[in-house]
Amino acid sequence: MSKTNPSLVPSGRSLSLLGKANLQQYVVYLGFLAIFLFFAIVLRDSGFLTVRNLSNIVLQTAPVTIMAIGLVFVLSAGEIDLSIGSIVAVSALAGAVAMNGYGITAGIAAGLCAGLLIGLVNGVLVAYVRLPSFLVTLATMGLFAGVARSLTDLRSIPVTNSAFTGFFGSGTLLGIPSLVWWTVGAICIGHIVYRHTRFGAHVLATGDNNRAASVSGISVPRIRLTVLMMSGVLASLAGLLYAGRLQAAKYTLGETDLMTVIAAVIVGGTLLNGGKGSIIGALVGSLMMGMLNNGLILMGLSVSDQMIVRGLIILAAVAVSLREKSR
Amino acid sequence: MLVKRFLNATALTCFLLSASASFAQTVGPSGEAATPSSAITLSDADLASLKDKGYKAALLWHTSSDFVNAVSAGAKDEFARAGVKVVVTTDAGFDAARQRSDIETALAAKPDVVLALPLDPVTSAEAFKQAIADHTKLVFLSNVPAGYKQGSDYAAIVTDDLFQMGKQAADALAKSIGGKGKVGWIFHDATYYVTNQRDNAFKSTIEKDYPDIKIVAQKGISDPSRAEELASAMLLQNPDLDGIYVTWAEPADGVLAALRAAGNTKTKIVTLDLAEPVGLDMAKGGNVTALVADKAYELGRTMAATGLKSLLNQATPPFIVAPALTVTKETIASGWKESLNRDAPQSILDAVK
Repeated sequence: MSKTNPSLVPSGRSLSLLGKANLQQYVVYLGFLAIFLFFAIVLRDSGFLTVRNLSNIVLQTAPVTIMAIGLVFVLSAGEIDLSIGSIVAVSALAGAVAMNGYGITAGIAAGLCAGLLIGLVNGVLVAYVRLPSFLVTLATMGLFAGVARSLTDLRSIPVTNSAFTGFFGSGTLLGIPSLVWWTVGAICIGHIVYRHTRFGAHVLATGDNNRAASVSGISVPRIRLTVLMMSGVLASLAGLLYAGRLQAAKYTLGETDLMTVIAAVIVGGTLLNGGKGSIIGALVGSLMMGMLNNGLILMGLSVSDQMIVRGLIILAAVAVSLREKSR
Repeated sequence: MLVKRFLNATALTCFLLSASASFAQTVGPSGEAATPSSAITLSDADLASLKDKGYKAALLWHTSSDFVNAVSAGAKDEFARAGVKVVVTTDAGFDAARQRSDIETALAAKPDVVLALPLDPVTSAEAFKQAIADHTKLVFLSNVPAGYKQGSDYAAIVTDDLFQMGKQAADALAKSIGGKGKVGWIFHDATYYVTNQRDNAFKSTIEKDYPDIKIVAQKGISDPSRAEELASAMLLQNPDLDGIYVTWAEPADGVLAALRAAGNTKTKIVTLDLAEPVGLDMAKGGNVTALVADKAYELGRTMAATGLKSLLNQATPPFIVAPALTVTKETIASGWKESLNRDAPQSILDAVK
């Protein structure tokens, strides 16, 4: 699949074609707006537009958004990380167990270190042992799902430290929920690193053409290692957010998130095979997934109908999005 | 290790099962006696006072399945009698985080009654708090969030008789193998109250009531799609098994496939819940000897009726139980109807003709 940078569109093309290409760049935003307007009209009497419900969507999607940021870096570098769901569970459980035994600092450190270490394992195997990231992270996904199950013998661990639950999921600062602060902070930092640093440029160059990147002096293995470690840490942060929000940790946390995160990232304009991506797009994609779940539930559809409609909308969004990229 | 695991699983739950000689009684979280579901009915006056009030209900389930469909059907029919509209139905896919999201989303529709199965007492404790704050009437299926109080926090727990289901499965398997022999025990290897209770009830019944039956092989399963390979391994190590207990019908399909692949027509299977593949095998006189089911439709009807009574500020019993049902080849048509409130699939009806 070719990756067309709109700025490189041949000058001979007509202005109308240019306009169309630029419009299609914003398909995720237009799609988001269209779905929002649709639900706002159809569900005007069903509570969709209430502040509480719209706030719910943002809060519910915060962990997915955080994971999506990591995945944008990984996909942009031409790799993939299928282990993020397992990292969520291991980190949440490790954090909860450590916190109950040794306090909040130990809990946060244990949770984040778990993600960092799993990311390191993934990264070393991909970057230096030169194994495909798909296979490595497929294996570690199963491996660490097993670790999560055995870590506490399948038990759920209550998280009772109010400072932790306030900081990571249930509290507010200046009247704004902590999950919103985490989302905004992670998106801002992620966007700046991705778009405005040398590292971000190297990630894109590696994903676009790793041989060319290597020849031009970029340490491709180091980039691969770094993005997979970033993905691990961000997934572990998502795990801590889940633990704070639910005030408990369980081995099933994150189990069903992988496909949602991938869909959010792809709909948001990141290429599966690297070289192009968008942190803001991933945020909008994540919110779109959350809004779809929310709106379809409030429409009173049966569970089967919700799944069918959600699948069709994601298919349409991805089709339009990929069509633009293959032009 | 396994014993420890199950003790841990059981410790998480709030229910207590009596360990009396008959060990047949399921009691509530604080030792409340069980009220039979048949005692929960709405009078004509109740229905009249509920109609045209614009009441709304939400069904927040843990998963999607034939069982859930039947529970939903029972609830919807009862709500419809009272003119109550079901505005939201969700499936948490056994995901605690998603269940919390589902609850928050459903509350935006301002339901007056919520029927739900909390996935696990610990993770659901925080999740349902907003519903209580919104004064929504809560009726729980089979499980209850930790620390919740009946009356102030929720109206009632309605459950199938989980212990009886496991016990009746043990009785049915024992009967089919003449009260003696070697059996395998395939249990659900996850912390999920419903299956844990049923599985353990089977095991304890065999151990206590049937001294001539030995559980010689036991394997946990978390992914039903892996049941065939798991059963193949069990049969390889124990080719002379007289019977196998399978935690529920979906993995039993895989166990059945493993027996067929091995050309084994002797080993009997007993499993829980009704499903067409295992039902058809039983109807054709295959390996499946009995299916133990709950009255799923009755569970849904009872949950809805309990929620509506709570809306009318009537006292509701704290702990309500719907009976278990052993379905055999001879009773499959009537059992299907009794459990799911619909006819058995045509393939099964044809097979038993």
